[in-house]
Parts: sequence; structure tokens; C-alpha cells
Amino acid sequence: MASSELTPGHAAPETPSEPAPVPPSNEVDYEQQAAAPPTPPVTDEETRRQLLAELEALRQQVQALTPDYQPPPFSPRRLMAFIGDTLSKYPKEVQISVLERLRGALSQDAFDPEVWQGVWYMLNYSVQYNVDLVKRRFTGDYDTDEWGLDWEWIDLVRPLLNFLYKTYWRVEVTGLENVPLEGRALLIANHSGQLPFDGMMIGAALLNDHPAQRLVRTLYAALLPRIPWVSTVLVRLGQTLATVENGTRLLEQEELVAVFPEGYKGTGKPFRNRYRLARFGRGGFVQMALNTGAPIIPVSVVGSEETYISLGKLPTFAEITGIPYIPITLRFPWLGLLGVIPLPSKWYIDFGQPMAMDGYGPDAAHDMVVVSQLSDQVRNTIQEMINQRLAQRRSIFF
Amino acid sequence: MTDKRTILITGVAGYWGSEVAARLAAGGRYRILGLDTQQPAEEIPGVDFVLADIRNPLMVELLKAEEVDTVCHLAFRRSTRRSESAFDSNVIGTTKLLGACASAGVRKAVLKSSTVVYGARPTNSAFLAEDHALRGSRRYGYIRDWVEIETFCNGYRHREPELDLTILRFANIVGPTARTPMTCFLSRAWAPSLMGFDPMMQVIHEEDVVEALLHSIYNDIPGVFNVATDEPLPLSKMRGVVGKPPLAVYHGLADWGIAILGTAGLQLEDYLPLEPSYLRYPWVADLARMRDELGFEPRYTAVEALREFAARLRLGRYRTGDSQLAKDENQLREVIDRRQRARERRDLVRSPTGEGADHG
Repeated sequence: MASSELTPGHAAPETPSEPAPVPPSNEVDYEQQAAAPPTPPVTDEETRRQLLAELEALRQQVQALTPDYQPPPFSPRRLMAFIGDTLSKYPKEVQISVLERLRGALSQDAFDPEVWQGVWYMLNYSVQYNVDLVKRRFTGDYDTDEWGLDWEWIDLVRPLLNFLYKTYWRVEVTGLENVPLEGRALLIANHSGQLPFDGMMIGAALLNDHPAQRLVRTLYAALLPRIPWVSTVLVRLGQTLATVENGTRLLEQEELVAVFPEGYKGTGKPFRNRYRLARFGRGGFVQMALNTGAPIIPVSVVGSEETYISLGKLPTFAEITGIPYIPITLRFPWLGLLGVIPLPSKWYIDFGQPMAMDGYGPDAAHDMVVVSQLSDQVRNTIQEMINQRLAQRRSIFF
Repeated sequence: MTDKRTILITGVAGYWGSEVAARLAAGGRYRILGLDTQQPAEEIPGVDFVLADIRNPLMVELLKAEEVDTVCHLAFRRSTRRSESAFDSNVIGTTKLLGACASAGVRKAVLKSSTVVYGARPTNSAFLAEDHALRGSRRYGYIRDWVEIETFCNGYRHREPELDLTILRFANIVGPTARTPMTCFLSRAWAPSLMGFDPMMQVIHEEDVVEALLHSIYNDIPGVFNVATDEPLPLSKMRGVVGKPPLAVYHGLADWGIAILGTAGLQLEDYLPLEPSYLRYPWVADLARMRDELGFEPRYTAVEALREFAARLRLGRYRTGDSQLAKDENQLREVIDRRQRARERRDLVRSPTGEGADHG
């Protein structure tokens, strides 16, 4: 929604006198584009009408969401005061360029008062929205689903997720058409790279690039609920602990579930074993699929192995602290926290052909022969997909 | 009168016992015997009071002589400390009572338990079914006692198949009048959560607890059932609805605090009525069997129940609790309120069309 993207810039314009923090410099352009389009200046009547129409559509969209909201009455002086307040948070050069652009637009008579009323509405709405948000969070007036998923938290982490997905690792995705638009499906992927960034990126791929923008429910390891903040954040983002009951229930609710059957064995493997799949677990994921008839979609992630160059492990220290493994990488622990920053390798995520799981009869989930055969089959498929991608890859970073 | 079945309610002087007895008396389908070790604060009309302990060896005689058909066991001493006397009356008392039921040929027994018996563990699934292992904390007396009672019942069900055993495991009970671990916790000025932990919680309104007990008394549905409202909610949201400040303590500190307070001999119940791990890890119960087999549906949603509790809590802030007279007045007001509610319920039962009129 456009309004929530507009919001960060005008969180608190009530006190214009306070010293201005320096925001990312592109924000002010963003907000003023609605009012004053970038050069060349608008002279064409057609362009002007288009702009008006778009602004009106945006306003109506917001008004439909909150029919009760009434902005304070409009007057040119108030609008200028508002712009002044908002601008006071930006560096002087930015302020001047924005004001000059505004003046240019006005002197060309390209905008009539209606446009300004629209701008006025949007600015006030975004302030009101932020105030309401804080109030609601404190009084418990928000909703989660029965798993604890809160969409406002998803909106909160999306910028970070998108930065990693689009800019940092430049993830290239194929085979999204294999993921159904709706209904249950089980994604099985390889796990690598010391920290579980691959789960985040699979989630980002489906949330950003899948036509239905589906939310993935990743099943995570039993260590994570013990860690403060991590446990809370994961639950709020709709993820849950890896148990057969959880997976089965989610699939029965027609959700998209992701499982990394390698677990710690996958993420913690040394660099020399990269892209060689570790042993799969006890086939819990196959049982989930057989219980619910959900298709298994194999997923290969290539690039995450190169985020850390793991040379070995610190077994004694890990045992004392209760952490499954503590890696020694090229940069960790030598560089301290700097060593935790992953390398910006180039990533590829490939979604394979779905494997139907509904033809095995009701008791197949308890037949360990069937379960282990299917588990091996999925494992081989993923290994094959990884090998194909590796054969095509020219560089780790590009 | 003679064709009515006889029900024995233990713990009738307590909150749940008196509520259930009053509702049953209003329903008029049972002859009601109320049992407790002390006189109820006020007489419940239609209830035949018997002053006795459930551990009394003559209990078999009583059950036989009165031809008791159903026992509703609500006597439970809730102590956070691992008290030997509470263990004796809770666990040993229950085993003796159920033993007496079996020898006296009682047809069925209804027990009230809690979902705390599952234990709050990091390895718990998001929804725990009734057959999940009972791994409740052994650090708090009342949790340990419930686990012990339930473990005994699991075995006893197979040994005495003649006795129909219904056990209802309730989630956090909240409401304007009931004093439960959760309401005690939320009544504290600060009610801290644990830093970085915000588990999903389930609640149920106190009236729905009574409803569910009545439902399983009137209908013969043996088994173990989780009972709670459908929508689990984060602890932080619960605290927001009740109006608690966003305060959190480091979980290690809470653990040490308990240990230190415990050795200092302080009453823990007022400080942390909920065991810290229950504020840290999930222990949400699966409600499929409640809906499908028990056929029970709570009337209040989780947020409605919390709002009612919060309203009473806020009101409490404005009353002057200093003078004895004011305290006395408060108590009397509660009695008047309760009697008023009981009257309304009785009217409700009498007029079949008025069902649910006052449960908005």
C-alpha cells in the first residue's frame, strides 16, 4: 500500500524545532513526486490529467480502507506549515531543491487546488496512521492468526528482506510456476551457509515474485525457541517449530510449508563439503506429505554455501554453551561481529516439478519403507537440481 | 424426588464448587450433595451440605447410602509451593475418592484439571492434543499435583472401566470474579513478561468453565478434553488488552528470583503465580476433541473474557480498600452481585426462550 511506504518520512512532524536526523536521501523525492514530478516540468495537458487521476485513485484507495478518517480543513497556509514541518527533518540542500521544484511547478500553473487538497489528505493520513499504529500496539488492538502470525511484523521486516533478496544476493529464481497459486504444498530445500538465510530468501522469493505472493511457513529447529527475541520474531512472522503435528496441521489449513530436512547437519557442514547434501532426518516431512496428500516441491538453493567459508568447528565450546555448532570461518571469530556479515555471493533458487503424494494409501505414513524411499527420492532430486545449477554457474559472485 | 439422580460435589465451599452447585440446583435435574471440610460462606439453596474430608475412609459408605450416581470432584488446594499437606489432600484425596467411587458403584466422575499438565517446553508443537505426554513443571506445587492426579487417572481408567471418567483440562481461566494463577498474575501492578519471549496463550472465561463442567455432568462423554477459546493470542496482546505496562525481565533473573524467594520462605503465589517457563514457551492445547467429541463451544471469545476481567481490575483501582468498612462493603457487593447473577440464571433456565439473553 502506498501510504505505508510514504510513512517513515513523516512520523512526528508535531515538533518542527527539534534537531533534524538525517534520513536516507531518496525519501524526500519519493514523497514529493506526487506533488511535483521530476524534470522535465509538466507542460502537457495529458500528463497533468494522468497525474490528477493517479492521485485521486490513491486517495480513494486509502479512503476505502478507513472511511472514518477526516483530514483537518485545508488551507494554503496550513499546507505550507505542514510541508515546512516535514522538510525540517531533511538536510538544507534537499530542502532547497524540493522548495525550488515546488515553486517551479506552481509558477507553471500546472496544478490546481484540487491537487493540493489531495496532497494534504495523504500527508495527514500518514501521520494519523502512525499515531494509530503505536496506540493499537500498546492496547493490544491487533490480530494474529492461531500460529501467532502478525502481518504488521511482516511489513516491518520486508525492507530488510528485500534488500538482501534484491540488492545483496541478487537472487535469481526459476520455476515459480511449480508452486501452486493456492492450496497445500510442501517445499523441501537444501540447507547451507551456517546461518539460515536460505529460509529467509525462499520466503522472500515467494512473497515478492510469486503471482499469489504466498507466505511460506518454514518449520525451524528446536534450538530457536530457546533464544530470546528470535523465538518471538519467528512466531510473529508465521514460522513454527518443526514437528510432524505442526506441519500436518499447516498443510491441512492449505498453507505453503517449507522444510529443510538436513537441519544442522546441512548448515554446519564445512566448506569442502559444499553442495553435497547431508543425511536427511527421519522422514518427518514425508509423513506430513503422506498424511495430507500435499505435493512435495523440491527446491535447490545455490549461492548460500559461499556466504561463509567454514573451515572447521569449535566442538568443546559448542558443547559448553549448548549451541549445536560454532563454525570457524575465514572471518569468524577472528573479525568478531564483522565476521558474522555474510559474503555477497550470487544466489539461485530453483523450484522443481511437484511430486504427487496422494496415491500411497492411508497407512503409508507409518510404513517406514515407503517413507525412507520417498525421502531418498526427494534428496536425489534436489542433489540433481543443485548439480545442474552448479554446472551452469560461472562465478560465485556474478 | 426419588427418580432424580444424585450428584456429589466435592469442594462445594470453594469458588467452582459453589458455582457449579448453584447452577445444578437451578437446573433441578439432580439431587445435590455438597461436600467440603468447611461450611460454605453462605448456604446454597437446594444443596444438601455434608461436612467431611474426601480422604475419610467412610466415603464409600456415604456414596452407597446416598446412592450417588455422579461425582463432580472440584476440591483442589492450589499452592504454588510444594506443600505436603496440599499434595495429600489433592493427590491422595483424589485417589481415595476415585477408589471409593469404584467400590460404591458410582457411575461416573467429572474432574477439573488444567492444560498446565502438558508443561511449557521449547520442543512443544504449537497445538498439544490430549494424548501428549504430561511434562508439567515439578517446581510448582499445584502443577505437580495436577500432573500426579492425571497420571493416576490414566492408569485408573483402564483398571476400573466401569467408572466413566471425564477430565476437563482448562486453559488459563480469566473472568471478573475467579482467582486463578492467570488472574493473580495479571492483577499484579507490573506483571512482567520475560524479555524476548512472547508465547501464544489460551484463555477461557470463568462462566464457560462452569458451563463446560455442567455440560459434562449432563452428558455422558468419558475421556480427557482440552477446553479453551478458539483463538490463541500472544501474551503481549493479553497484557495490552488488560492494560499492563510493557515491562520485561531477563528470564534468568526470574528463575533465580524464584529460587531466592523460595529459600527466604516468601509466599511465591503473589509474586509469580505462573511458573516462568509458562511465560516463555508455548503450551497451547488442541481443541479438536472439545468441538467434535465433547460438543462444547465457549460463549465468550478470548478478548471478551479478558475485557471483562480488565474492567473489574480497573474498577478495583477506584475503590478505597483502606477502611474495614469499605472492605466489608466490597465483600457484600460481591455477594449481592453473585446472588443476582444466580437469580438471573435460574430465570434463564425456567424460561427456555430466554436462553443466552444476557450473554452478549
